[in-house]
Amino acid sequence: MSTDWKTKLGDRIADDLGREIDIFETQIELRKQGKIDERVFAETRLRRGIYGQRYDNGQRHDGQKIQRLKIASTGLTKGPDTVWDAPGMMRIKVPFGGLNAEQMETLADLSEEYSDGISHVTTRQDIQYHFVHIENTPALMRRLAAVGITTREACGNVVRNVTACPLAGICRDETFDVTPYAKAASKFLLGHPDTQDFGRKFKVAFSGCAQHPCGLTSMHDMGVIAQTRSENGGERRGFELYVGGGLGAVPYKAQLFDEFLPEEELLPTAQAIARVFARLGEKRNRARARIKFLIANLGIEKFRQLVDEERRKLSTDPRWTAYLPDTRGPGETPLKAGTSLNGAERPEGFDAWHATNVYQQRQAGYVAATITLPLGDITADQLRALADIARRFVNETVRTTVDQNILLRWVSETDLPELYRALKNIGLADPNAGTIVDVTSCPGTDTCKLGIASSRGLAKELRQRLSEKSFELDEAVKDLRIKVSGCFNSCGQHHIADIGFYGISRNIGGYTVPHFQVMLGGKFRDNAGAYGLAIGAVPSKRIPDVVNRVTDRYVAERQKGESFQDFIGRIGKKETKAMLEDLMKVPPHEEAPSYYSDWGDPREFTLTGMGVGECAGEVVSAAQFTLAASEREIFEAQIRFDSGDLKQAAAMAYGAMLRAAEALVRTQNYDAPSDDEGVVQEFRRLFCDTQVFYDKYAGSTFADYFFKARDAMQHPGAIEKGVALQRLQEAQLFIDAAHSCYNKLAAGATVVPAPAASEARSA
Amino acid sequence: MDLQRVNVKFFAAEGCAVPLDAFVGVFNSWIQGSDGEYYDLADYGHVPAGPGVVLVADEANVSMDNNGDRLGLLYSRKRPLDGTNREKLAASVATALGYCRRLEEEPALEGGVRFRGDEALIIVNDRLGAPNNDETFSILKPEIEALAKRLYGGAPFVLERELDQRKRFAVRVKAAAHFSIKALMESLRKNVN
Repeated sequence: MSTDWKTKLGDRIADDLGREIDIFETQIELRKQGKIDERVFAETRLRRGIYGQRYDNGQRHDGQKIQRLKIASTGLTKGPDTVWDAPGMMRIKVPFGGLNAEQMETLADLSEEYSDGISHVTTRQDIQYHFVHIENTPALMRRLAAVGITTREACGNVVRNVTACPLAGICRDETFDVTPYAKAASKFLLGHPDTQDFGRKFKVAFSGCAQHPCGLTSMHDMGVIAQTRSENGGERRGFELYVGGGLGAVPYKAQLFDEFLPEEELLPTAQAIARVFARLGEKRNRARARIKFLIANLGIEKFRQLVDEERRKLSTDPRWTAYLPDTRGPGETPLKAGTSLNGAERPEGFDAWHATNVYQQRQAGYVAATITLPLGDITADQLRALADIARRFVNETVRTTVDQNILLRWVSETDLPELYRALKNIGLADPNAGTIVDVTSCPGTDTCKLGIASSRGLAKELRQRLSEKSFELDEAVKDLRIKVSGCFNSCGQHHIADIGFYGISRNIGGYTVPHFQVMLGGKFRDNAGAYGLAIGAVPSKRIPDVVNRVTDRYVAERQKGESFQDFIGRIGKKETKAMLEDLMKVPPHEEAPSYYSDWGDPREFTLTGMGVGECAGEVVSAAQFTLAASEREIFEAQIRFDSGDLKQAAAMAYGAMLRAAEALVRTQNYDAPSDDEGVVQEFRRLFCDTQVFYDKYAGSTFADYFFKARDAMQHPGAIEKGVALQRLQEAQLFIDAAHSCYNKLAAGATVVPAPAASEARSA
Repeated sequence: MDLQRVNVKFFAAEGCAVPLDAFVGVFNSWIQGSDGEYYDLADYGHVPAGPGVVLVADEANVSMDNNGDRLGLLYSRKRPLDGTNREKLAASVATALGYCRRLEEEPALEGGVRFRGDEALIIVNDRLGAPNNDETFSILKPEIEALAKRLYGGAPFVLERELDQRKRFAVRVKAAAHFSIKALMESLRKNVN
């Protein structure tokens, strides 16, 4: 019996993924020993998908008083004000939402063993677990890696999950299948050196067409829509490229960057955009650090010019085009022949499900079936059974969706009744996908530190009420979308819903009362084509009445063919607000105490559970990360030394010094050569010749250790124990000095003399 | 084998009419009286045949669980236990029984919940340490039988193993006679191995 997952899974884990997880496990050990700063560790774990969760500061208000939670460890933190043993959230990237059966089985297993048995589909096609202990994360990552999934860069100031329309490849209206492009972009940008020094996160989305909502490109930092052009009698593929969109407290619609970006230019342009964002994006003011603010400040013309300049500087990378032959391949293949449903027996409930959950693919005889997940949640048993279904009915062609559902693609139409029965057996045959009943919600106060009001509690309530009367709902109302966020940050995407809500609070008679801001008239269609209008704050417990009143008025007064957006625009904000005015009032506590607690939470409402969110990550520079890596390498060198491998220990000690030198060099010359000799030369020129790397008492001693180690590496051979030990000690001193030098540079206490620095920048 | 992360479920008796929502209130009151032992609640009442309402703590979670579409009290140990495997199993079952009894006596539920003592589900939530295979069963069978004898005295019982190897190692213990939770607690206390 294996004693750990690393041994058990062995060569099932790709070398690069395995190495990354080994490194993270070492970083956990170093943090426990106090050898990594808590901020650096926080951003490190975020970049591995490990997020904070509500109450992880060790305190919780129980409705009467604040309790100090009995959490095992004392003192150790995994980030500022974040207790080591407090449970956290684990986000798992699912590029373009694509999953196979084995991956679903693994996700099911992990949710049972490390979480609470639930896999939660997010509004960006990720999977999230809650209540995960940090010490379990390396095993969790290894088990995911064994089935080809990484959690790397699922959180933090990096390129997040690359999303795509879940209908890509089967859509009746798409220009072409964007799946292989989304896959290539995800792979290329993951861990790319040019995406490691952002001030905030960066989100990318792909859509196969402009008119449908599936890709939501308008609300992304970089949105890509498939386009073709006729050239020389043939068809040329490319993309309409948008940049600078985003929701959050200050929503921006993305701006057109390029009407037609040829397909071979997609990845280099993304790289150039990343470099401009890393170089010029805001780093200190977290509220204005997304690329949308940079573009707004510069103007799209200037931003385009800077990206073009950056693009011209890039050396050709074969990865830019290596994937293109795959884009012309067959893509997914069906399991069965496509045959029609004609005359098949229809089980009870089938027709209602078929009306809302089945999409006719452009390929004759095939359909895609949406599995409606309540609040995006699916149990381990359901997920395993769904894996069986994915093997039985389709060729494991499964995608998560931004509506927090799951899509089975390439179902032979004949199989639909049997598929419906199979789904019904596991409680996954709910109808109403994509209707007003299918309410989307972020985690809100259930688990998020930023949550103000219970978005899931409200979503559950609305879902239940609307579901009960779904058969009697007017057709015009059925197709409306409701989206709920727990706060203004808009993870529930309330801006783009017909009817959106986000959590706020109001003080009434000395009590804090949960409210939701009502947003009406957002546009999900046209790739998130318009953002809704804020109408006013309504206490949480009256929100179901808001939905009833708004939809009833729409049904009663809409003009022929009038959309909900047009209706809200026509009656105007003043009249809309007047319609809801009486619902905005809060009765005194003694008359109606239920107003003073939130949906699904019996505690009297307070805001004390809120903490510092980790959406913004920690501002940790690339140099700080590289210095932290040098610390890890010297730690690993010490382990080699202890095991008696002296030669390797000495070589690793030099490698750690080289890494620390590189960290400093890149603060002055971002594009410095990355080969060992290039780093050494640049370090000598920028830091030694200028005496920037110079100790008041030790002079150039520490730098000399580095050059001495480098000379020793030129003459490989047996090494004595004493020499190896000395190398380790000198390497540690050099790394400490590099930290000191970096801190002085960061504080402005030291500057690299202008000629050396500017010479470097122009090199 | 170092048996850890034992889960134990006792099923609600037929006719339990208390809706899952009610346990949100009950567990919240437990939190208020706990001095920091429990640190959160997770309500999955909207998920069919799911984890129900979960009271989350550092040492173990306690939930009114509806997995398998059968409501019951699930005790999910997380932190390691000391002792022999037999002792660890007994300790987990004893704690689960204690929670069942607490719910049966919970004033807010007005006696609406009773648990069946004649059936217990034991799950080892550790696919690495206790994979669901014959070897694990051969190691743990004597331990579970010894525990069943302590619980049920001379009453006959059977063990039913979970046969889907993708699922966690699990054994259902079924006695041929009726037992109350209180009686099982008493048996466990008296019949020390």
